[in-house]
Amino acid sequence: MKYICLGYYDKSKHDAMTESEKNAMFDECFAYDDYLRANGHSVGGEALQPVETALTLYWKNGKVATTDGPYAETKEQLGGIGVLEARDMNHAAQLMGQHPALKYGCIWEIRPVGDMNEIMKASEQRRRQAAAH
Amino acid sequence: MKYICLGYLKPRTFEGMTADERNTVLDEAFEHNDHLRANGHLVAELPLQPPETAVTLYWKNGKVATTDGPYAETKEQLGGIQILEARDLNHAIQLVAQLPGFKYGLGPIEIRPVADLNEMIKASEERRRRKDISQVIRRWGNHPRCQ
Repeated sequence: MKYICLGYYDKSKHDAMTESEKNAMFDECFAYDDYLRANGHSVGGEALQPVETALTLYWKNGKVATTDGPYAETKEQLGGIGVLEARDMNHAAQLMGQHPALKYGCIWEIRPVGDMNEIMKASEQRRRQAAAH
Repeated sequence: MKYICLGYLKPRTFEGMTADERNTVLDEAFEHNDHLRANGHLVAELPLQPPETAVTLYWKNGKVATTDGPYAETKEQLGGIQILEARDLNHAIQLVAQLPGFKYGLGPIEIRPVADLNEMIKASEERRRRKDISQVIRRWGNHPRCQ
């Protein structure tokens, strides 16, 4: 079962860390990521550029509008996502509960991935039928 | 260049639709995804289960604490993530703006460029290797035959 892990962090806290504090945190985090990967628990992940690079699109007066910045205005901001392979939510929470980023103030939100296979198959069926008519 | 697109959903949007309406939205969305995939723009799709299934972990009083539900308390909740391949941010905007979900009022989409951590990871590996070597030297340095 796949779980998406959303990593939130406080950028001002991060910027206030010294170089060697940052390195110590990165080394611990990357070493733990290596451990997860070696055990088949980490199946993907992407780090995000700082939140100033975010752009949000929404629907307004019948067309798409854009606004700078992220959608959610939170103290800690999304800094990266990881894809975890775990038996169940307890296992996922156990694996992420050992992540060293937590003690540096990061927050992990764990979300089970939805299985869209049946819905997609039904949609393909409908579209095939519509095309045949 | 990769872009993470965070799709937020208005609560109960799908639940409030008739089966026909829901099918129309899904069919258009999947068809659009097929089109993106065929053109090499859709790298990955990660639909999420509803926000009620979320668990959030954080650090409190020197240990890990957990709480049910998502971290961000927002009106619209994260419903899925798409990873797009685009030339630049403008191209990513163009691709996202064509998603059919907007006109059905599904909710906003946040676009975030992916950061390249390769150099940072390499530097960290180098530091960790050096630390391992210095630990070996220290260990062997204490060995009677090395003194």
